[in-house]
Amino acid sequence: MSEEIQQAIRIRAKELLKLGEVGCVIGFERGRQPAGTGRHPALARTRPAFVYDPADVDRLVWDQTCSQNLVVYLHPEAALGAAEKAHHRVGLVARPCDVRALNVLIHEGQVARDRVFVIGVACPGMSDGQEIQAQCRRCRERVPLFYDALVGKPPKAEVVVDAYADVTEFEALSAAERLAFWTGQFDRCIRCYACRQACPGCYCSECLAEQVDPAWLTIAHTVPQKAFFHVMRAYHLAGRCAECHACESACPMHLPLSLLNRMIAREVKALFGTVAGTDQQARPPLATFRRDEEWPI
Amino acid sequence: MRTTTRAALAAWLDTLADSRAVIAPQQVERDLLYRQVTSSSQVVFDFERTVASPKTFFLPDTEVILEIERRGSRAELVEPALIREQVVFGMRPCDARALLVLDALLLGRPPPDAYYAERRAKTALIGLACPRMWAGCFCTSVGGAPDDASAVDVMLYEDAGQYLVQGVTPKGAELLESLAAAETDRHPSPSDRSGNAPVEVTPPHDWLALFDDPYWQRLAERCLSCHACTYVCPTCRCFDVRDDAPAAGPGSVHVQRLRSWDSCMSAGYRRIAGGHNPRPTKAQRLRNRYYCKFCYSPLDFGVVACVGCGRCSSACPVDVDVAEMLDDLKEQRMRAGQ
Repeated sequence: MSEEIQQAIRIRAKELLKLGEVGCVIGFERGRQPAGTGRHPALARTRPAFVYDPADVDRLVWDQTCSQNLVVYLHPEAALGAAEKAHHRVGLVARPCDVRALNVLIHEGQVARDRVFVIGVACPGMSDGQEIQAQCRRCRERVPLFYDALVGKPPKAEVVVDAYADVTEFEALSAAERLAFWTGQFDRCIRCYACRQACPGCYCSECLAEQVDPAWLTIAHTVPQKAFFHVMRAYHLAGRCAECHACESACPMHLPLSLLNRMIAREVKALFGTVAGTDQQARPPLATFRRDEEWPI
Repeated sequence: MRTTTRAALAAWLDTLADSRAVIAPQQVERDLLYRQVTSSSQVVFDFERTVASPKTFFLPDTEVILEIERRGSRAELVEPALIREQVVFGMRPCDARALLVLDALLLGRPPPDAYYAERRAKTALIGLACPRMWAGCFCTSVGGAPDDASAVDVMLYEDAGQYLVQGVTPKGAELLESLAAAETDRHPSPSDRSGNAPVEVTPPHDWLALFDDPYWQRLAERCLSCHACTYVCPTCRCFDVRDDAPAAGPGSVHVQRLRSWDSCMSAGYRRIAGGHNPRPTKAQRLRNRYYCKFCYSPLDFGVVACVGCGRCSSACPVDVDVAEMLDDLKEQRMRAGQ
């Protein structure tokens, strides 16, 4: 499966670069670090790769560890490599969750659809070497919502019926238990902002967490400050989080950050009937105002 | 040389904990971290490498360095008392060596960092030799060794289910008075250095010609500009100082001067009044971190500010790997005919 996808990505990337359709293909390559150093100890590391030359496409790999969301590299702030012309089109290897995130950015006017050639991957789910990861078992899309080329065949996959079962379970705990849980988690946080930097939805040129005037947060690495940051970030992603788990994948301290996001996602779904990034037409609920709508405030 | 058992070490740590803070590797959910422990039962004895270095016990991620209270028309300035004695157990040779680096950078020339100096003086280091090199580390390429005892007060070597104990400094010898250990004529066998291929570090002066090399742009493409590498690093020492005024009672003002870690990977790190940023791109920032370690620190302070622990590489969400970078630079130099 992975082998087939990898081959198809290389062929497509070569063609796109040769024809000058795109200036760069953003995909994955195999890192050099040995197994045991990455997040999945059993597996060799893969990492984002930027390919400009058709002769280099064999660097591109694909397997079930390619878990970063490459959509972050479309942020204006991310300033791509020297050879990438700022206005040139890029090819982007994207799983269904990545495309959901891209869809959110398109809706928010951050990325023009025609700037990206989406090499959509029919995704079998990410794996930690033993089993398909939880977020992928919850994912209802095996094929991206939209793409310019599709690689791989839609796999059959078992989908968890209640995607928010763990949220419900967590919510059943008492307030004191929940507070104790998150206090323990945030205590471990080193305030490195890897979650924010890896998140396609976090593109503010100045994050509230680092704003100086007014200073909403202090510079302290204390639990209340870190909790403020994470809860604030979760709120700012309300109705926008594509549930790609890039935040959790990036966290060096293994914080279960997406639990915050998914709790809010469940609320948004219940209130507005929408799941972020899953509809190309629908306006994002929290960026929409309808004259006829009434909400108790 | 003396020999002891794990049970005796545990009892010793419990004794030490009566008179000082004991910091040791502890399993916190999925992560192994240095934490203050209250009982030896919390200590992990068998481990490879913690996620983050024990740096925070010398340069805390956050400390209050001054408190200002206003009472009526008077303002009172209080310098908070610093720590009591502490001991770090299970210090790896690379992390101990990192303290020698910090000594050079923070205490080597005036004015010394008084906060760091006090913590350093009040801390005893109980080293634990690495029996072998771990995945991705390269201490032997930057002047260290997995069994280097030169930067600790007490050194322990795993020895056939027991531990060999070496008092390295007078401070260490004093600590060891309360450890039950027997004399032995055994000597630690040298750690296995064969696991990892050595990395060739480009000499400090040779970095200067590489400053404008397009390599940095290429390397930084995938960099996310997060702070993970700098915060897990045992020698990254940048900090920020700001005042904060937590809510105080009516008529009174309470101001805290905070000192917290800062990271040169952050976009705003070098931003100055008026908004100018002399290091606006992530390539410039990533390059700066490596130049700080391998060029500026050696040239300005006489120390390579990398101890080869490999933590930055393993914490990096996108696999920016310091050892790979060093190898790439070597190739770059060979191509340029240096």
